[in-house]
Amino acid sequence: MNFVTLGIRNAFRNVVRSAAIMLILGLSIGLSLVMLIAHQAVSNKISSVKDSIGNTITIAPAGFSGFSQVNNSLTTSQLAKVQALPHVTNVAETLTDRLTTIGSTSPSSFFNQSSSGSSNTSNMTSLTSPVTINTSGGGLGGGGGGRFFISGGGQLPTSFSLPISIVGTNDPTQLNGTSLTITSGQAINGTASADNAMISKSMASKNSLKVGSTFTAYSTTLTVAALFTSGTQSSDNDVIVSLPTEQSLSSQSGDVTSAIATVDSVDNLTSATSAIKNVLGSSADVTSSEEQADQTVQPLNSVKTISFYSLIGAVIAGGIIILMTMIMIVRERRREIGILKAIGASNLRVILQFMSEALTFTVLGAVIGLIIGVIGGNPVTQMLVSNSNTATTVTTTSSPSVAARFGGGGSGGGGFTRHALGLGNVGSNLHNIQADVGWSILLYGFGAAVLIAIIGSALAGWMIARVRPSEVMRSE
Amino acid sequence: MLKVVKVSKEFVSGDGHVSAVDNVSFEVPDGQFVSIIGKSGSGKTTLLSLLGTLERPTKGTIEVGGRDVASLNDHSLVAYRRKKIGFVFQSYNLLPNLSALENVMLPLGFAGVPRRERKQRAQELLNEVGIKDDKQNRKPSRLSGGEQQRVAIARALANKPSLILADEPTGNLDSETGKMIFELLHNLARSENTTIVVVTHDLSIAGKTDESFRLQDGKLIAK
Repeated sequence: MNFVTLGIRNAFRNVVRSAAIMLILGLSIGLSLVMLIAHQAVSNKISSVKDSIGNTITIAPAGFSGFSQVNNSLTTSQLAKVQALPHVTNVAETLTDRLTTIGSTSPSSFFNQSSSGSSNTSNMTSLTSPVTINTSGGGLGGGGGGRFFISGGGQLPTSFSLPISIVGTNDPTQLNGTSLTITSGQAINGTASADNAMISKSMASKNSLKVGSTFTAYSTTLTVAALFTSGTQSSDNDVIVSLPTEQSLSSQSGDVTSAIATVDSVDNLTSATSAIKNVLGSSADVTSSEEQADQTVQPLNSVKTISFYSLIGAVIAGGIIILMTMIMIVRERRREIGILKAIGASNLRVILQFMSEALTFTVLGAVIGLIIGVIGGNPVTQMLVSNSNTATTVTTTSSPSVAARFGGGGSGGGGFTRHALGLGNVGSNLHNIQADVGWSILLYGFGAAVLIAIIGSALAGWMIARVRPSEVMRSE
Repeated sequence: MLKVVKVSKEFVSGDGHVSAVDNVSFEVPDGQFVSIIGKSGSGKTTLLSLLGTLERPTKGTIEVGGRDVASLNDHSLVAYRRKKIGFVFQSYNLLPNLSALENVMLPLGFAGVPRRERKQRAQELLNEVGIKDDKQNRKPSRLSGGEQQRVAIARALANKPSLILADEPTGNLDSETGKMIFELLHNLARSENTTIVVVTHDLSIAGKTDESFRLQDGKLIAK
């Protein structure tokens, strides 16, 4: 009988004890596997998020927030220097403002903070937002697919209409990195001053407008040049005009509230970001999509770290379980080891026999562990990610910048908020993690089991080597 | 020829060195059946351990076929024990989860004998010691003491050793069974031309061996 067969048979000498050992080992290996699955799923998600964000750099005025951006804008001349930098292929500049619907009443507790910019009676429009709010909802209203918090709670007046964002941009083909689809009419020229605008299909439907219709903003009549869709609900509330037009209408000549620079290659993202920071100095906050992605996936990185350390901990626990088991077995069978050595077995042969016994425990434990891993991998991953994202969501929704998104008036208020919402969309996708249990995971599981067996039986092997064959005579 | 020359074995204890075997010398020709007798603690088991290379002597030499086995390295000692020595213990020391047949096959496996040959040789040996086919696949717990000792003797004979060392082989058996086991060993010494050294305190058994050595306080005091 070879040592492998003998080792396997020895593993079942005491069936009840062996079953208990295998079950405990199975739990340990199962936990290792669950953590491995979570770690791999989260790593894949982080990679995909980073890959999906692309090669863009966001430029915002320094220290910009929804409430403090007064006299703190970028200028088109600054951004012209950025456009001239190597590897920068395009700079999409925007100047964003908020328009209040004529006749709309804002709640007293809603945006009564020192709202930024030039909130005044000229920031009025004849348009009504297509996004509706459930006014009976107390502090929280939901409507039109959106969910909004009112700072401090309170009732919304029945005549309240959500403020509308007006965006002046030199690149009307996209809005904050999201491509627009023109459904009718012709796209406006982003660099020419003209009293025409692009509005969303939802906005047109809400206000019974079509291409060629007119509406008022800043007491100026604008003509609808095109209708667009973008696939995002936040864009439904937007009016797009050319950058010079918005600068003129809002009396912010040469100002820009945000810009997105596109770099020719992801490989040049870091160098281009540094170059833009050098050009703009302390006047702007420059964030590459890579950095944005890092911020976005921060909760996932926490899950990744937790799952990694849990994986290490579970493997060590498994190693300790098998280590203690094998020490106990070797101590119990000192006499038998002595017999084997006395009748001609070498140290190596006896050690290998006990290792195969340890391997039997761990492989059968691994089978139990694999079942646990396959069943528990996905739910545990979802739970870890969900808990992590819940904490992030609470932080985000309590931020005043979100409320400022719909605040009355204030030049440039939209840029930062739009950017935050953009990340929010990415963030919401973080929940959608599917943990796959593939062959590689199963192989890792068995690999971990073998590793645990080797680690666990190492000390036992040393003890076996120290057993002298004459002990069999002493115990007579 | 087994030749023991001025062999001593000392152990370190709390009070200093204890001499378990002290300057012992004797010779045993091939095929002889000899006994070592002495009271408990006289050093006879230690001497048997030295003869079986389970322990190394502190002093002296043990020659088997003209070769000093005490000077062999650990690896060579394992090979030597495997090929040249067979042990029979008082409490049989069979592996409890193996059948009688598998217990006998075990040392053959250590020696690298092919499986089919192992089984055949083990069956022959078990038949030779009186364990019939119907009992060969039984675990030791389902065999009587005498049967277990027969299996142990078959295991000791497995690799055709030149020296069999038996430590109180009849100690756990009733007198009738003990007598049968003794006869078995005696016959094997004759038929296989194997040197057999038996440690015992049973003077009736010692009296029937070819030669008997008496140990007292680690010293060989008489033949």
